[in-house]
Amino acid sequence: MQHPHFKRSRKAAMLFMVPAATLLLSGCGSEKTVEAQVFNTPDECAAFYNPPAECQAAFADAQALHPQVAPRYANKQECEVDFGVGRCETAPEQGQQQAQGSFFMPMMMGFLAGQMLNRGGMAAPQQQNTAAAAGGRNPVPNQPLYKSRDDQSTFRTATNTPVASKPGVTQIRPSAVQPKPASLARRGGFGAQAQQRAAAAPRQTTMGG
Amino acid sequence: MKKVPIAPRPGWQAFAESVGFAFHTIDNEPYWDESAYYEFSLAQIEDDLETPTEQLHQMALDLVPEILQSEEKLQQLGIPEAFWDAVRYSWQNGEPHLYGRMDFAYDGKGPAKLLELNYDTPTSLYETGFFQWVWLEDQQMRGALPSGADQFNSLQDKLEQAFAQLPLPQPFYFSSVADSQEDKGTVDYLMDIALQAGIDSRYIALEQLGDIEGQLVDLDGFPIEGLFKLYPWEFMLQEEFSSTLISSNTRFVEPLWKILLSNKGILPLLWQKHQGHPNLLPAFFDDGKQPLSAGWVRKPLFSREGANVELLTHSGERIFQPGPYDDGAYIRQAFAPLPRFGDSYTLIGSWVVGDLAAGIGVREDNSLITKDSSRFLPHIILG
Repeated sequence: MQHPHFKRSRKAAMLFMVPAATLLLSGCGSEKTVEAQVFNTPDECAAFYNPPAECQAAFADAQALHPQVAPRYANKQECEVDFGVGRCETAPEQGQQQAQGSFFMPMMMGFLAGQMLNRGGMAAPQQQNTAAAAGGRNPVPNQPLYKSRDDQSTFRTATNTPVASKPGVTQIRPSAVQPKPASLARRGGFGAQAQQRAAAAPRQTTMGG
Repeated sequence: MKKVPIAPRPGWQAFAESVGFAFHTIDNEPYWDESAYYEFSLAQIEDDLETPTEQLHQMALDLVPEILQSEEKLQQLGIPEAFWDAVRYSWQNGEPHLYGRMDFAYDGKGPAKLLELNYDTPTSLYETGFFQWVWLEDQQMRGALPSGADQFNSLQDKLEQAFAQLPLPQPFYFSSVADSQEDKGTVDYLMDIALQAGIDSRYIALEQLGDIEGQLVDLDGFPIEGLFKLYPWEFMLQEEFSSTLISSNTRFVEPLWKILLSNKGILPLLWQKHQGHPNLLPAFFDDGKQPLSAGWVRKPLFSREGANVELLTHSGERIFQPGPYDDGAYIRQAFAPLPRFGDSYTLIGSWVVGDLAAGIGVREDNSLITKDSSRFLPHIILG
């Protein structure tokens, strides 16, 4: 008795290579706003009839993200010009290499909670799953908020997007509040050999072999 | 082992393009060629290719700790001294490897001869794992091939298992040079398999990789903790961000220690340790200064797609393939001619996933040196 598939894969199917583009396209178009909540403190969050444990969790997420996404300044004075005297702190070092000196960042003045599921108006779980499958992150991540020196009533994200002027529920376009780390990355540090050798051998179509 | 003509599937080009195989034709020259196939017996596959592949793979792995303990060998392999510790660390830390491809000269009789290991950036993965698999299914459905025909090709199954089992950080990133359509096709295929294995997979062009204070980051500046790179280690070690490779908290696939095995210098080291092994060809380090004698091939330590390979047949005919890899040391290997089928010379690429043999791909070239202009032909196992 022969085993017809003994030496080869049971299947060789590509689930995503073809439909992926279609999936992404159908996700485009006018973006719907979703509800999220803005608070100064976890206690204030709980006072808005949210489960205290969820408030604490959202606050902890925001605190953890804070040193990664807060805008960075080379000295304290520049930071205080934007955020107010006494409202800046030393930023932790990033990466494993020695930094060239310390950086400063504004203090976290509140947090955005996008993940509390007990309220109506949040993205339905199914939608969230789709978004998570496509992008890997939830539509409105919990994140720190800041207040600028000249506008102390408005909560702003680390990228200076205003999200609310008072605590509580607010409407948000998810794409406007995706946290991005603050430091400027250097780029273009790989690929030079490919270019050099492509110039020497223009027919070479692969860096593999 | 024989070559059998067969009618190509009508409309296969449009199908190829619809499933991401845009490089089936390169510069108006066919790359995927289904006007014929190669037929092997099960014994040829199992005894002459599968078993030696796993044995040679193990012999190569066994050399790694020996090389790492020897400054002389690290120097012979052209590994920059600044990275010796990093290479050692990647091995001692048990950083897992995904895949590799061995190239064999094999004519269906006698032992397959190992020409080289492509253990860092092996390509022709998609053609082997996916497109020739579909070709066989199609031709069987059309009644053009017997339903009992099989193929030595468990590549996709084994890659999917590997992605499911390897300890990979997530999200896991895949990278290739921006302007190589072929490399993007290979990476797309790997990402697709990784997604099927449940890995959160993302693409970033190699040139777009960022550095924030020694940490590799993606386009949004988030740390990249896991990176598959279809780009040679020996290039990365020479480029502007080379020090980032040491400082960054990133797990690389293939791991850095693979630079020892993707190196042609592994061939003389294998020969030193296993002289006379039926699947090995005599091989020696070579400074490139003496003229080559008949029956020998000279290859740079680092070279791809046959570039800068010089060959003297047993009758003294010289074949040289110019290329951009003339900046290193060389090895000299006894000449084992590729078998000739019609007008073409045929090379067997034998895949390893994890530590298991995972299938073959057959390439043909008009020359004894297999180059980037070679053609890929499907194969079957019958009887």
